[in-house]
Amino acid sequence: MNIKVLWMYHDLMDLYGDKGNIEVLKYRCNKRGIDCVVDTCGIGEEKDITQYDLFFLGGGADKEQNMIFGDLIKRKDSIKQAMDEHTAFLLICGGYQLFGKYYKDQDGNIIEGLGFFDYYTEASDRNHRCIGNIAIEATIDQDTFSVVGFENHGGQTKNVLSPFGKVLSGHGNMYQSEFEGFLNDTVLATYMHGPLLPKNPKVADKIIQRALRKRYGDITLEPLDDSLENKAHEIMYKRIVK
Amino acid sequence: MDIKLKLVQMTHSILKKAGRGGSFPGQLGLKMDENFISKFNMPPIVILVTGTNGKTSTANLIAECLRSYGLNVINNRRGDNLNIGIATLLAANSDSNYNVKANAAVIEIDELTVYRQFKNLRPTHLVVTNFFRDQLDRAGEMETIIRKIQEVTEDFEGNLVLNGDDPNVLRLADTAKKAKIRTFSVCENAISQKTTDEASEGKFCPRCGKPLDYDYYQYSHIGRFLCKEDHFGEIDPYIFIQKLDLNEGWFMCENNIFHPILSSIYYIYNCASVLAVLKSLDLDLALADSVFKEFIIHEGRNEVFQLSAPCVLNLIKNPTGANEVMKYVVNREGDKNICIILNDNDQDGHDVSWIWDAHFERLNLQDIKEIVCCGLRAYDMALRLKYEGLNNLVVIEDIQEAIKYLDEKHLDSYILSTYTALHKTRGILLKEAHE
Repeated sequence: MNIKVLWMYHDLMDLYGDKGNIEVLKYRCNKRGIDCVVDTCGIGEEKDITQYDLFFLGGGADKEQNMIFGDLIKRKDSIKQAMDEHTAFLLICGGYQLFGKYYKDQDGNIIEGLGFFDYYTEASDRNHRCIGNIAIEATIDQDTFSVVGFENHGGQTKNVLSPFGKVLSGHGNMYQSEFEGFLNDTVLATYMHGPLLPKNPKVADKIIQRALRKRYGDITLEPLDDSLENKAHEIMYKRIVK
Repeated sequence: MDIKLKLVQMTHSILKKAGRGGSFPGQLGLKMDENFISKFNMPPIVILVTGTNGKTSTANLIAECLRSYGLNVINNRRGDNLNIGIATLLAANSDSNYNVKANAAVIEIDELTVYRQFKNLRPTHLVVTNFFRDQLDRAGEMETIIRKIQEVTEDFEGNLVLNGDDPNVLRLADTAKKAKIRTFSVCENAISQKTTDEASEGKFCPRCGKPLDYDYYQYSHIGRFLCKEDHFGEIDPYIFIQKLDLNEGWFMCENNIFHPILSSIYYIYNCASVLAVLKSLDLDLALADSVFKEFIIHEGRNEVFQLSAPCVLNLIKNPTGANEVMKYVVNREGDKNICIILNDNDQDGHDVSWIWDAHFERLNLQDIKEIVCCGLRAYDMALRLKYEGLNNLVVIEDIQEAIKYLDEKHLDSYILSTYTALHKTRGILLKEAHE
């Protein structure tokens, strides 16, 4: 059994240790005898996105985000096809924003997004940047659990019809908002860095199951020793959720 | 006489007599008067030192050199580089009418504080060491820091001393049109490499956005780069380290030989920036060797304590600094234990994700017996190492307990500590160290 992961713009969109998510996926697959093949895709590189089981796009600084955007738009049709064919998507921060309708910057300029979903993002004023530790309660594929991470975003994402989770502590999609991220059957999009997966092994396993589902259907994963993960999770959860 | 200043000065001398340093006096001054810092009549030479790494060492080297030339110099030697630390330094060294009593002030200044205090401090020199990813949650993206420093140096007419081998720093030369640009650069040498795998911020030309070509890398994105499109990076260095042998521990500049006490590439860059400052002041470069040879910031920079076996303490605070410390540690021969203390207090930055950008996989070596993960985010550190496949991990959150554990092992040990744990760790080590 194997999963094929496409890591988009790994050399540009790698802010806040998002690459750690890839390390976690590889480790947790290998421990279970699942081969995790990670391929990268840079600007202008030819890759058939539909051939992959998981599409990963991390966050980047504004400058980097502007650099990749033209390239991403050119791949819109094959991304759409991959999505229709049940490729799993994990999108962090900038990656999350780019899949929505548009991003409006501080000067009011509108950058069109891929437009797959109804949400859109507007830059905040200086005093409303969302920074800090965050905890949410999320339900992925019928299982409910807490997720902890670190958020750092100016963009305020609005009109999210199906969020990733309910905010227990922190900001979420907007300054002091109630919900965080976006989730549907194949796409998990979030502002949560940290990186996301090391302290949230349940989320990591859900992502692996989603990636496997495309070619193998529903697979039960054998449990791993997550005592360090759970301890790291618990310490942050206890610190910020009153 | 100014009552507010007098109060600050009195507070300072009372605290000093009680054996306590700290920045409280400056905090008091700024609380009573937000323009406190701008009130001081600064000395004829004011050298500000900023950048991500190497500020404390560089600023101290400059201050020591100037002292060796007979100048009366004040500096914030412990690296209290925020508003309050600088206010404390000035108040403690001025008369009751805000006249700073010194020939020169060498001030280490935080990258964001530069923006706020640059004009108030009326510098003659601004030294910029390098720009790496640092505490992103506090500082915002590096891009923002650079832009803010560009803003305040736009009409600066003094000496802008820049690391010519760091594209993020050299950018400042493009916008500071009135400044005297003094670049420093270090030649290709035995440790230079043609490619790099280290967290790299300077991949693209800031003028045209095209990828930069590197002739060689020294560490991280520091190296000799050039944009073929618009020639960004083409410099005629004001100070050029023409020969360098890190094994034998010497380098050559303008035909003088220097013997730096630390033989690491980042330290050579610190020395190069010091030489640029000295040259701009028409001072004899050769005399700096006596300072380079001996002066070192001991506290948490390769500081050795004698536990049951030697224990070496180093500060880590961002990926580049951590990578350099790890290179040093893995090159030490023999079996050893390692302890990493990861905190996430204000001064460390609340976001510890930077550990995923540093090359901790380098610690996956036979002669590293155990790695103790310690501090407020000990478990985050353990996870970082676990996912590199390391299984010789021990988690001990408490610093005192962790040091006790190392001591009991009778093995050489290396402690890598984040900023807010450093002081406490030193205190314990000083107490525990055997005669």
